[in-house]
Amino acid sequence: MIRRERTILLVEDNPDDVELTKRAFAKSNIANEMIVARDGEEALDYLFGTGTYTGRDNMMMPQVVLLDLKLPKIDGLGVLRRMRADERTKRVPVVILTTSTEEKDVVTSYDLGANSYVRKPVDFSQFADAARQLGLYWLLLNEPPPSKGKP
Amino acid sequence: MAQARSAQQLAETRADLAGELERKNRELEAFSYSVSHDLRAPLRSIAGFSTALLEDYAGKLDDIGRDYLGRVSAAAQRMGELIDDLLHLSRVGRAELQRRRVDVSALARHVAAELQSTAPERQARIRIADGVSADADQRLLQVVLENLLGNAWKFTAKCPDPAIELGVNEQGGVAVYFVRDNGAGFDMTYAEKLFAPFSASSLGGRISGDGNWPRYRLPHCRSARRPGLGRGRGGQRYNIFWTLPVPVPGGRV
Repeated sequence: MIRRERTILLVEDNPDDVELTKRAFAKSNIANEMIVARDGEEALDYLFGTGTYTGRDNMMMPQVVLLDLKLPKIDGLGVLRRMRADERTKRVPVVILTTSTEEKDVVTSYDLGANSYVRKPVDFSQFADAARQLGLYWLLLNEPPPSKGKP
Repeated sequence: MAQARSAQQLAETRADLAGELERKNRELEAFSYSVSHDLRAPLRSIAGFSTALLEDYAGKLDDIGRDYLGRVSAAAQRMGELIDDLLHLSRVGRAELQRRRVDVSALARHVAAELQSTAPERQARIRIADGVSADADQRLLQVVLENLLGNAWKFTAKCPDPAIELGVNEQGGVAVYFVRDNGAGFDMTYAEKLFAPFSASSLGGRISGDGNWPRYRLPHCRSARRPGLGRGRGGQRYNIFWTLPVPVPGGRV
């Protein structure tokens, strides 16, 4: 049985962006625990309880995954593909949070089953605003998929 | 015999060139992709952390320090806009031309309304001639109008009685469109540079481009550089003239 944690999984290799995202969430009073994965492999390890996360209860899934596209080892689209192909993660909300607005990135992300696509703005107040809205929507408003699934 | 050979050689050369062009296009696409990803990330850090400093540590800085930080963050935002503009232009250049009859007057009014909405308090007389139309790609023409009207809007900002005008004249059977304003002018010595991002498109060779900007072009806006480009006579008025190539039946511009 899949259960959901109140955590946010942030998959982001740029430490500055990690810091700015954390700050933006904190400023918006979003206190959910944030797990940070620095590359695609680490993200998948976290989700599936493998590698450095061996032993993590992999029936516990984050409330939302914020996924950058350009990542070391396995890129964002690769992570998304793996998530959507696995029973345990195929319904976990994934928000692409990236710098790219290349049409092919947007289209491919949606094709692979992303729930949302958000561009990181340069302007920090916009960035903070985007983070706040993301938090409000995905952590409070959005009705998550029912907590069931094959183990 | 010799003729047949040279025809074949010509065909081979043409195929080579087409292949080369395609390769260059792919390279440029990869380039703009990496610009979009890589250049914005450090900018976000500069803008983000200077804002964070201003918000969280403003009390520890004096006025000058806060002013400096404000400048850093404004410059980063400006650069972000520049990168966006560049990428926008590169996408415009990539797209296929779709020519049809465009209501230039309506398009210009739309662009003018957008400009007005960015600064509702500004009082500018914007006169768009009625019934102006063109055979053009609407999207590209909109970019042209956004640029030209946007510049007129910008350069009349400090003008006591700003006036902007768009219209069309006919010269020798060719429609010559113009945007005119009474704001700050530009030095005619550098008039050619005004169109540098558009210039490499000069299919007719009428605009000399240095080829550095092969993508950032407006392929259908050809003869931006005309004798009439620049400062108009009589009072402080500044004109930009441009023409659109006459469509060739069945042919591309």
